[in-house]
Amino acid sequence: MQLLWQILVNGVLLGGLYALMALGLVLVWGVLNIVNLAHGALIMLGAYVCYYFFTGLGWDPFAALPVAMSLLFCLGYLIQRWVLNLVIRAPMFNSLLVTFGLEVVITYLAQLLFSADFRTVNPSYAGANFSFFGATVPWVRVLAFGVALALTFALWLFLDHTRIGRAIRATAQNLVAARLYGVNPRQLYALTFGIGAALAGAAGALYGVVSQINPYIGAGLTGKSFAIAIIGGLEKSLYVLVGGLFLGVVEALTALYIGPTYTDVVSFGILVLVLIVRPTGLLGRTA
Amino acid sequence: MDNILEVRNLTKRFHGLLAIDRVTFALERNQILGLIGPNGAGKTTLVSLVSGTLQPTEGSVLFEGKPIHRLAGFRRALLGIARTFQVMRPFPGLTVLDNVAVGALFGAAGSTRQLAAAREDANRWLHFVGLDHRVRQRADALGGPDRKRLELAKALAMRPKLLLLDEVMAGLNPVEIEEVITVIKKVRDQGISIVVIEHVMKAIQSLSDRLLVLHHGEKIAEGKPQEVLRNDQVIAAYLGSKRR
Amino acid sequence: MKPALKFIFAALVVGGFATVPSWGSAVLVQFGINALILATLAQSWNIIGGYTGYPSFGNSVFYGLGGYGVAIALVQYQLPSAVGLILGVVLAVLFAFLLGLPVLRLRGHYFAIATLGLTEVMTAIVSNLDIAGRNVGLILPLAKGDTLFLELSLALLVVTTLAVAWISRSRFGFGLIAIRENEVAAAVMGVNTTLYKILAFALCAVFSALAGGIHAYWITYLDPGSAFDVSLNVRMIIMAVFGGPGTIFGPALGAFALAAISEILASKITSLASIFFGVVIVVAIIFMPRGVADLAQNFRRFGWRYFQENIKAHRV
Ligand SMILES: Nc1ncnc2c1ncn2[C@@H]1O[C@H](COP(=O)(O)OP(=O)(O)O)[C@@H](O)[C@H]1O
Ligand SMILES: [Mg+2]
Repeated sequence: MQLLWQILVNGVLLGGLYALMALGLVLVWGVLNIVNLAHGALIMLGAYVCYYFFTGLGWDPFAALPVAMSLLFCLGYLIQRWVLNLVIRAPMFNSLLVTFGLEVVITYLAQLLFSADFRTVNPSYAGANFSFFGATVPWVRVLAFGVALALTFALWLFLDHTRIGRAIRATAQNLVAARLYGVNPRQLYALTFGIGAALAGAAGALYGVVSQINPYIGAGLTGKSFAIAIIGGLEKSLYVLVGGLFLGVVEALTALYIGPTYTDVVSFGILVLVLIVRPTGLLGRTA
Repeated sequence: MDNILEVRNLTKRFHGLLAIDRVTFALERNQILGLIGPNGAGKTTLVSLVSGTLQPTEGSVLFEGKPIHRLAGFRRALLGIARTFQVMRPFPGLTVLDNVAVGALFGAAGSTRQLAAAREDANRWLHFVGLDHRVRQRADALGGPDRKRLELAKALAMRPKLLLLDEVMAGLNPVEIEEVITVIKKVRDQGISIVVIEHVMKAIQSLSDRLLVLHHGEKIAEGKPQEVLRNDQVIAAYLGSKRR
Repeated sequence: MKPALKFIFAALVVGGFATVPSWGSAVLVQFGINALILATLAQSWNIIGGYTGYPSFGNSVFYGLGGYGVAIALVQYQLPSAVGLILGVVLAVLFAFLLGLPVLRLRGHYFAIATLGLTEVMTAIVSNLDIAGRNVGLILPLAKGDTLFLELSLALLVVTTLAVAWISRSRFGFGLIAIRENEVAAAVMGVNTTLYKILAFALCAVFSALAGGIHAYWITYLDPGSAFDVSLNVRMIIMAVFGGPGTIFGPALGAFALAAISEILASKITSLASIFFGVVIVVAIIFMPRGVADLAQNFRRFGWRYFQENIKAHRV
């Protein structure tokens, strides 16, 4: 019982981070109809930004998070403006392949620049923890969880309560709707992808604090983000949060009751099952 | 009486919306039934229920006396039902010839199963609808009127017994409409039964043996064209929809 | 090029490959085997992706099952390798039928992601199977020389290409193309879309599994990561798309070209070859989304405008 409680707490904390990982993917997919296979690679870059600011300049990883977000925003903006905007009206499969090409380029450039070694971000307070109704909870995880929640909430505020945010949401219904809001669609798409990349950067910075990183972590993280996107559907950031928590808890329970090597079977199995049974997502509305 | 098609109590619900509401009618072999009604009345939905593009919520469809409403679309095609699409669905990357050849290759039982023969067949049908000069072009290079003709040729190449035509004259000029009317009459003379959806009243009057009027998914009138078009309810439905 | 000319050219290429062992170095023979296997994979992806229009990311499952068929037969049961190849094909075809049924109902992104998910599931399942050596994998007995494998993989590519050639001019193939071009219209015109899609998927499975079986037998080592490698799946897609999806020779040509270029680059720096691969994907999809085959056909007519037109058609 004690163990189960501990596992559940771990799962929820990890799930918040998962949700943040998926948030950018869902935004880009829902609005631009681009399935971004490079999303995990962007998360990986965010983690490395954080790592270098921490080891090189001695910054606190949470202070490096805004830097990672800004850098990734710029990168994302440029990618959409000069690459993806060129294929946005092509069949969906074309943009999918282009994002895969980007994933490969980013991953292997990272390998060239950062080497393939595992890295860790270990701030002095990494070991600090407290007891929560008997479960041991590391402070960094709670902090990461809190930041993830805050960013999810911030995105929701932005999309619902600003003119640009509303223009982005309108674009999800109709690609050229941006014009109605007096925004140039090219820039709006770039902005949207930039925000998606910034969220990936934030997720990466937090991921680096709770886990080891190397240039190849991207593909697996893209897969997890997909699973969450499919579970939660593409409509609301709240649903993404639920999807993330669900996956975090399910993975934790799988590791406990079936075995840690089965977590991928379960999470990707859920992905496939949900797709087959309800392609619009478990929480999304019916087709 | 020899009915090729019988529709009984057919109902189709899209979530909350009743698109087709307990519609019953029959089509005699070798006759032309005109299907009219304002936009959104459910005409296309009715055609889709008969052709198998949609499955009904309730009710039954009998083709040559046998129930077909549970069959997959391709099985109905094999039995001899062909339709055109109002929102045209050519195979964009194929040549006009091969678009029609697909119909000949797969259509009703008894059509050819050989590629070369199917292409010959396709050539004949393209000539029949007046598209000979376009056979080698890609289908997505065709303009609107030619796409309508292509839809017709694709359906005809399937050698159907029952042909469902969904607004094949929309967007055509009067001369082109005359041509299509001639083609449809020739098709009927070959022994094919036809359901025509059309907004051009003159065309529908000159073609149809009987008329059926849909409004909000319900059948509001059925009978000889002149009688039906004098019916007050029908006039109200049309005027009402125009005023809106 | 006239069809007759194309076939003569193809025959020359086949002849060239067949004689490599008599004049080429060992390295060249090994490159040849790899290129032929990749070309076979690109060619079989062509059936489901190029002709039927379903961009499968699950073909590496077929490849992996083919490999494990051979490995399990040889290592666990000491059966002859031919039995292993058949076992692999049977497993792959079973998979195609069982999972094709639900997954081929999905379209677009959803199909792509579901097949991607299936690949991950299979990797994870096999990593937990004792009979497959869990995540450590299996070491196969050493097999006869490279020449045999070159001839085997060449024969497989020829058979696969013949199958595609048959598809392109048969009623079956017309049904697949109709599905790709417009599935609803195809069904209404009498194409049994469900059956055709599954048959296409199963046909992919046969050839990909054979490729996987031959490769495993040659490399004499297999683990879940390399057997069900998603990036291998993407490689076959890129090769097919680069050469010309939905054409008879395009995918094989694309595979040879890209395999050769990345081999040359990889001999310098490994990651450089991968980066090059990524750049080729991006540039090719943007400038020539219908592949080299389409480029060759239309470049003479349009000249450099060909690239401009492609961009204009798809950018915002
Ligand atoms: N696939 C669908 N999903 C939901 N509603 C539909 C669908 N197809 C048609 N409808 C609705 O059903 C009604 C009838 O449409 P339709 O049959 O196309 O009419 P018509 O062809 O007479 O203009 C309309 O209100 C339309 O919006
Ligand atoms: Mg209509």
